[in-house]
Amino acid sequence: MLKMKGFRLRLLQFLLMILTVLLLLPMIQTFLYSFSSMEEMKAFMKTRGSYDESQWMAAHLIPDMVSLGQYYQILIADNTVLRLFVNSAMYASMILAGQAVIIPAMAFALSRFRFPGRNAIFFGIILLMLLPFQVTMVPNVLTLRTLGLTDTIWAVVLPMWFAPFYIFLIRQFMVGLPNELIEAAEMDGSGTLDTYLRVILPVSRPILGAAAALSFAESWNLVEQPLTYLAARQDLQPLSTVFNQLAGENTGFEFAGAALYILPALFVYLFFQEDILSGIQLTELK
Amino acid sequence: MYRKKRLVLPFLLPGLAGILLFYAAPFLGGIWYSLTDGSFENAFVGFQNYQNVWQNRMFQLGLKNTMELSLICAPSLFLISFLLSVALNRMRPAGSFFRNSVLLPYLMPSSAVLMIWLLWFDYGGPVNRMIVALGGERVFWLQGMELRLPVVLLFLWKNLGFCVIIFLAALQAIPDSLYEYATLEGASFGKQAFHITLPLIVPSAFLVFILSWVNAFRIFKEVYFIGGAYPDEPLYTLQNYMNNMYGKLNYQNVTTAAYSFAVIVFALFGLLFFLQNRAQRGLT
Repeated sequence: MLKMKGFRLRLLQFLLMILTVLLLLPMIQTFLYSFSSMEEMKAFMKTRGSYDESQWMAAHLIPDMVSLGQYYQILIADNTVLRLFVNSAMYASMILAGQAVIIPAMAFALSRFRFPGRNAIFFGIILLMLLPFQVTMVPNVLTLRTLGLTDTIWAVVLPMWFAPFYIFLIRQFMVGLPNELIEAAEMDGSGTLDTYLRVILPVSRPILGAAAALSFAESWNLVEQPLTYLAARQDLQPLSTVFNQLAGENTGFEFAGAALYILPALFVYLFFQEDILSGIQLTELK
Repeated sequence: MYRKKRLVLPFLLPGLAGILLFYAAPFLGGIWYSLTDGSFENAFVGFQNYQNVWQNRMFQLGLKNTMELSLICAPSLFLISFLLSVALNRMRPAGSFFRNSVLLPYLMPSSAVLMIWLLWFDYGGPVNRMIVALGGERVFWLQGMELRLPVVLLFLWKNLGFCVIIFLAALQAIPDSLYEYATLEGASFGKQAFHITLPLIVPSAFLVFILSWVNAFRIFKEVYFIGGAYPDEPLYTLQNYMNNMYGKLNYQNVTTAAYSFAVIVFALFGLLFFLQNRAQRGLT
């Protein structure tokens, strides 16, 4: 690699450092705020939204006194946030469980088998992948209504099981696997299901990890589906749809809620970071 | 490659059945839906629904805003992630720390950081403080047209990482000697990026461009986070219109609006594919 030297490299590093700080600041700030006491947060949040030219919002970054008050409130005293958090966890785990069964299998079928209609199916999946939610919600709704599933959690979960992007992603990875891998397994007399479970899935680990992490990120940030399909069901909303409301109500514990919500995503990031990088690296994305 | 066709069925069928049930079949069935009046007899009305929806002011507003916002979001996401990846690629291995920090927001729930955005862009908040410190005037970021900036920035914050990763994967395949030669010839950073790097990674760049558009059409998410369920007019997106119609149980209009949008989306992507094909043929 051509190395940049001296001043230009320093300048670039400096700019990237600022960008990195800006990118990470929202999370850092959220965690810092979550350890302020509720009174402190309420007082601070009250200073925003003022249109008085002579005044500024209070400058506040580090808690005056470290307190677990907010966490006590959301975890023990009041279960509003916790209930919504559990809803989110339920959606994410149900979506990922279904996808784990359906999507790699379909990617396997589309990459390692030759059968009539294969290309047509793959083309259809790419078309679906391009369509925004505004369009795909219509066919989803028509079927959900026919099955009587509107206003239930299945309205959010079921359509996600067949998310075309992850089929595409995993299929592109599996296409690149060497044929010898399968031939060697066949030679040993292994059946298709055996080969799939014991050879294909283990060697596809990076892309499966990447897809799982990306899908988790999507399921953890659900907005359109619950807002549309479950508009009438406040009790079934995931936590992701209510932060705007929490901020408006100035509850004093909104940042502990946000920190609690960021935490699982952070673990997923730390755990799957390498998979995402190598998974994308090894996938033929064309 | 397996040839025994029967063996594919257990792997293919669950996924295929779901796609047919939830996407393909009702998509075709919905076309009929958009051509009928939704009454008890469900009479055939031809393109009447399309005419009504297209003449509806809120539909026009939602469509216009969605297109405008995507037109800001998609190209800037593409351009910023490209330049950032070229820069990161040049400073390996130190770049991997920056790369990992850019990826982090992609996995974070933007719903949870929206409150920080509301603080940053408050009338008395840090962004305005900075502007005043630099000699400018305070801006009403959280209303009207200006609200678009925080919305677009939240979108970029969230989506930058994945595009950078795809770009970086492609960039690593380019031999260093090319850059060395270009530098000897005196080509600047910008010239190298757009005249050497970009043509060499057309397929990946195209994928990023397409994904940028696909994600940009979902801008409703960021709008909802910052602007709430009933945003000001400059942020009223197509999704707002459709949620509104859905709430009123006006499925005919929802379907018609969706299909109208589908036609636009396919026309756009068709054009992009056509241009990419021509660009690639021009290169070889």
